[in-house]
Amino acid sequence: MTATQDRPEMTPMTSGRTINLIQAVTEAIAEEMERDSRVVLFGEDVGARGGVFMATAGLQERFGKHRVFDTPLSEASIVGAAVGMAVRGLRPIAEIQFADYMGPGFDQIISQAAKIRYRSGGQFTAPMVIRTPSGGGVKGGHHHSQSPESYYTHTPGLKVVMPSTPYDAKGLLKAALRGEDPVIYFEPKRLYRAAKGQVPDHDYTVKLGEAAIRREGSDLSLIGYGGVMPDLEKAADALGAEGVSVEVIDLRSLVPWDRDRVLTSVQKTGRAVLVSEAPRISNFMGEVAYVIQEQAFDFLTAPVGQVAGFDTPYPYVQDKVYLPGANRIVAACVQALNY
Amino acid sequence: MIQPFTPEPIRFVAEDGTPVQPLPERFTPDVLRELHGLMLQAREFDRKLITLLRQGRTTFYAQSSGMEATQVGLARSIRVGHDWVWPYYRDHTLGLAMGVPMDELISQCLGTNSDTCRGRQMPHHFAARRQNFVSISSSIASQVPPAAGNAMAQKYLGVDEITVCTFGDGATSEGDWHAGMNMAGAAQAPALFVCENNQWAISTSIREQTASETIHIKARAYGMPGYYVDGNDIIAVMEVCAHAAGQVRAGHGPALVECLTYRVGSHSNADADAEKHYRTREEVDAWLARDPITRLEKLLEHLGHPVSAEERAALIARTHREVDEQVLRAEATGQPDWRIMFEDVYADLPDHLRQQEAFLRAEQSAGQGGRA
Repeated sequence: MTATQDRPEMTPMTSGRTINLIQAVTEAIAEEMERDSRVVLFGEDVGARGGVFMATAGLQERFGKHRVFDTPLSEASIVGAAVGMAVRGLRPIAEIQFADYMGPGFDQIISQAAKIRYRSGGQFTAPMVIRTPSGGGVKGGHHHSQSPESYYTHTPGLKVVMPSTPYDAKGLLKAALRGEDPVIYFEPKRLYRAAKGQVPDHDYTVKLGEAAIRREGSDLSLIGYGGVMPDLEKAADALGAEGVSVEVIDLRSLVPWDRDRVLTSVQKTGRAVLVSEAPRISNFMGEVAYVIQEQAFDFLTAPVGQVAGFDTPYPYVQDKVYLPGANRIVAACVQALNY
Repeated sequence: MIQPFTPEPIRFVAEDGTPVQPLPERFTPDVLRELHGLMLQAREFDRKLITLLRQGRTTFYAQSSGMEATQVGLARSIRVGHDWVWPYYRDHTLGLAMGVPMDELISQCLGTNSDTCRGRQMPHHFAARRQNFVSISSSIASQVPPAAGNAMAQKYLGVDEITVCTFGDGATSEGDWHAGMNMAGAAQAPALFVCENNQWAISTSIREQTASETIHIKARAYGMPGYYVDGNDIIAVMEVCAHAAGQVRAGHGPALVECLTYRVGSHSNADADAEKHYRTREEVDAWLARDPITRLEKLLEHLGHPVSAEERAALIARTHREVDEQVLRAEATGQPDWRIMFEDVYADLPDHLRQQEAFLRAEQSAGQGGRA
């Protein structure tokens, strides 16, 4: 298998367009609605307004109120209704306005969506996608900035995804909608307009569970996902200027996650630094660190480093201080390099 | 004419078996006898399952004795296998009356290889695809928002199905209940919500559950009709549920039916001595006097078509025999092995589960149990 076949995100595009991440989300939804009449989209303010971030702008106009509609302000209703629709044969996309507000829908996610296939012996299934903006960096305070992905990675039956590029945002969302499982699709809101990139003109999907190697390197594996990815790139640039060769990996998908690609990288570089903005205790990256030490211990020349959010509620004023920026990532890498 | 929001529960037959209003023509003696047979079968099913529990052959059971008219009546008011049902955990009588085979119910309660749910849930939490009887969740009221969504999908698809969602009185205190009721109302979805108000949520009485005088009046808040029915009068239950289901099917939006009934037994085996702790013998006795099966027997007697003692005994014996046979048959299929743990978590087995399955396979073939 060639490198480009193995890494479709790095395939040179013969024809494509440059769009931002939120446009990628909109395009993915529109194309899937066009392709499959079972796909319906709903949530708070997704209709006429097009969502508070405008991710669904124009879709109600295009597909009609019966397929794109506003719901009562109730996450339990939105998620629960998606479960019932999926069981009855539709492909619902439920938008939760902010990941921070998934709390009232939590029971529906973990008791119904995640378990109905298992507990009914496969007699009933709920293939559905819950889309939600997550993460900080937009001066949103603690109810508009959290990164709750670990709550969901801890629940068997759910798949959990977080893209960081327009290509992945579009391809992963399409794959999620064509799959047979419930998927929690986190959208790093600070990258909505900041992340720009090429998407092909043709239809494509990005398989859930495959990490992307953003750049190859030999001295250290820098691993992250979602909103922190630009900081990983910046850190890799800074270290590169000092002659350090950093391999940057974007997990893209947390459940399932790409152990093989991560382990292959760490076995090559001997050092790993894991980055996410979620609070550190029970952070999903703790699982990645565990697997690295379990499967690649003999290859490690330094302890696995971790840069995470602090174990505090997300602070409004200290937004930028809270988030792991490039400097903190570089410091963790230097520590690993000097060990 | 059936009306919503009546101050008293709608009833057709008094506790002594005399009709309090003319019986609809469809309730011929043959129909009434068939309904009686179904209720008696369900009652005896309860009795036998309690015996299995005492024998240690199952570990949990939630009886529906006393609630037969509500559940059988509801089953007879919908299009089985066409409409969809999101039930709660005390609905095995509803399942039986909808034609879920007794062996499926028993297999689920025993967690055997013949369990269509593959031994993954605690007893009494079954699912039946052929009847569109969707899987039961222990998490109270969590079926209500999905039922609203199921009904919304039916509306979207333009089918003439309805969705039926059942729950106890306790469920009406949960946020999910209000969320689901509101969603269905806002969407004008074809959902029929049925509260089996048996007056106790384990040990919490309806009076402690809500300051609302009844459950059905809460329907007003969600913009749907609320019907109040004597849940121990099977004719009333069928008339009201059939009327409400018809309205829902005709596109008039959702409806709520409150069936006022009583759980004669304990909540489950976990509180088998309910009378000692949270309710009085007098209360139970008063409700026993309103028993739905006895009431129907008295009506049949009144109509000149009594169920003879021999007929009754034969029906009971047949049910007991059938349960015994099904139990033996189910037990003979054995218990599902460890592999079922990993299947149906996702549509396909992801790598991390593949690895965990391999670990367990090695452990099992080496004869080392995880609990050693």
